[in-house]
Amino acid sequence: MPVFGLIDANSFYCSCQRAFDPALKRRPVVVLSNNDGCAIARTKEAKALGIKMGDAWHLIRKDRKLAGVEWLSSNYPLYADMSRRVFEVLTDLVPRVEPYSIDEMFLDLSGINDLESLCVKLRQDVSQITKIPTCVGWGPTKTIAKLANAIAKDRPELEGVCDLTGAGARERYYRNLDVGEVWGIGRRSVEKLHASNIRTISHYVDADEKLIRAISGILGERIQSELRGDSCLRLSDMAPQRQGVSCTRSFGRPITEPEEMREAVCGFATRAAEKLRGEGLEGGHIAVFIQTSPHARQWGWYSGQRALSIPATNDTLVMVRHATRLLREIWRPGYRYIKAGVHLTDLSPDGAQASLLEPRNMAAESAMRAMDEINQRYGKQVLRPASIGVNRNWSPRQNMLSPRYTTKLAEIMVAGTF
Amino acid sequence: MSGYAGDRTTGFASPAADDIEGPIDLSEALDLRRPSRYPVRVSGATFAARGILPDDVLVVDTSVTAVHGSLVVASVAGRSMLAELRKTGRRWHLHSGDGCRPPVEVAESSDVEIWAAVTGVVRLVV
Repeated sequence: MPVFGLIDANSFYCSCQRAFDPALKRRPVVVLSNNDGCAIARTKEAKALGIKMGDAWHLIRKDRKLAGVEWLSSNYPLYADMSRRVFEVLTDLVPRVEPYSIDEMFLDLSGINDLESLCVKLRQDVSQITKIPTCVGWGPTKTIAKLANAIAKDRPELEGVCDLTGAGARERYYRNLDVGEVWGIGRRSVEKLHASNIRTISHYVDADEKLIRAISGILGERIQSELRGDSCLRLSDMAPQRQGVSCTRSFGRPITEPEEMREAVCGFATRAAEKLRGEGLEGGHIAVFIQTSPHARQWGWYSGQRALSIPATNDTLVMVRHATRLLREIWRPGYRYIKAGVHLTDLSPDGAQASLLEPRNMAAESAMRAMDEINQRYGKQVLRPASIGVNRNWSPRQNMLSPRYTTKLAEIMVAGTF
Repeated sequence: MSGYAGDRTTGFASPAADDIEGPIDLSEALDLRRPSRYPVRVSGATFAARGILPDDVLVVDTSVTAVHGSLVVASVAGRSMLAELRKTGRRWHLHSGDGCRPPVEVAESSDVEIWAAVTGVVRLVV
C-alpha cells in the first residue's frame, strides 16, 4: 500500500525572515505582497493581533494596536533558496519528494517501517538546518496526507505530526470536519454539498458516487476515492509543462506617460521571453494588458487587453516588437495605469515549429544565448533591449525589503563578534 | 563566444582534449550548495587573535554539532554573534574572542541559542 506524506512550512515567508534575524524571534511578523499591497504571510503572534490574510497594509499600518508588528516586503530570492534547502534536506531522508508549492512538499513514504520516527526526524532536521518550523501529515493518499497535515497544524497537542494511515483514525476526524476542509473541494462545491445535506467528510465519503459526481464532477468523485483510501493521484517529480508564461507587475506609482508604459511592457516581454528560453520553449501567442486601479475610480477606470498569434519564437527582440504593437492598440491617454503584463501561450518545445518556409534565424538565436549567458554571469538584465529604458522609477514598492541573505554576497547575514 | 576550455582547437587537435577539468569552483570546494551551509559576514575584531578579521566571510553549517572549542554563530539577546563555545561541567557557555566580556550560558532562559558552527573562513584581500 502506498503512503504519502505532506510536509508544510508554518508561515513560510515569515519563518524565512526569522531564520536570519534573531530580533524577530518573538515579534509579530507580517510579509506583504508585491508592491507592499497586503498581508500574505503572518506569524501566529500577528494572527493573534487580528491581522488577516489579504488585509491592505495602507489601511492597517497606522493602527496603534499593531505598533509592534514587523512589516516586511516579500523577498522572493530568499524564499526560493530556502525552499530549495528544505527540499534538499528532505531528499536526504526520503526517496522521492515532490515540491508541490514553495512551502509544501509531498513525500513518498511507501515501504517505510517506522513512519512516526521518520516524520519526527524530518521536522527536526528541517528545523535545525533551515530554521523553518513545519508540520507533517501522512496517509494512504495525497488527499488524506493533505488533510492530515492541516490537522497537525490546527492541533498543537499533536506536536506537528498526524498519522491518518489507519481507517479508525480517519473516521474520528472525518466525523467532525467539514467537507470544506478537504483539498480540492472549492467553495461553490461546498455550498452545493451542504444544500444536499453533505456536511462532514464522513457524509462525503459515504455518499453515493453518482450524487458526488452530479455535484462536483469527475474531480469530486476522484477526491471521494482518495478520501476512502484508494490512491488516484501519484507523486509527480516535476511540474507539468507550463500552459503559459507571464510577467505582470503592479507599479509603485501610477503610470500616465505612453513612453514609460512602453518601457515597462517591453521589460515584461523581455523577462517572459527569457523565461521561455530558460525552459527550452517557444511561444506562439502573445497577450498584453494594461489597467487602472479598481479602487480609484474617481480617476476613471479602464482595462485593455489585446492578443495576437505569432510564429513560435522565444526571441526577445521579436517579442518586444509584438508587445509594443499590441500596447499601441490598447493605450488610451488620460488614465492612471497601475498594472500591466505580458502573457505568452501556445507553448511548444524550442525548434519544434521550425518550417521550411520560415528558416530559423541562427544569428538571433546565438545573440539570445549570448545575452542569457552574460546576464547570468554579470547580473539580471545587464544586457537588455534599449526599449526597456534605464530609470524604471515605476518599479514596485518594496520599502521594507530585507537582505537577500543567501543569494547575494553583498547582503549576507552579519554577525558581531562576542 | 566562450566555451573554449583547451579542447576544441581548430587546427591541430588538442592533446589535452580528454583531460579537461575546468576551473576550480570555490563554491564547490566550500560546499556552499549544501542546504546546511550559509555565508556570514563578520563585523567586529575580537576574534583577530584567532585569525578572523572584520569583513571576513565565514562559512557556517547548521547541521554540524558544535563541540567544546568550536567557533559558533549564536543569537544573543536578539543579535547574531560569533563566539567560542566551551563546556564547563554540564553547562555550555559562549566565550568572547578577547576575554573582554564575561561568558554567557547557552540557555533558552538567557535568550542565547546556537545558530550554526563555523566550518571555514574566506577573505578577499583586494
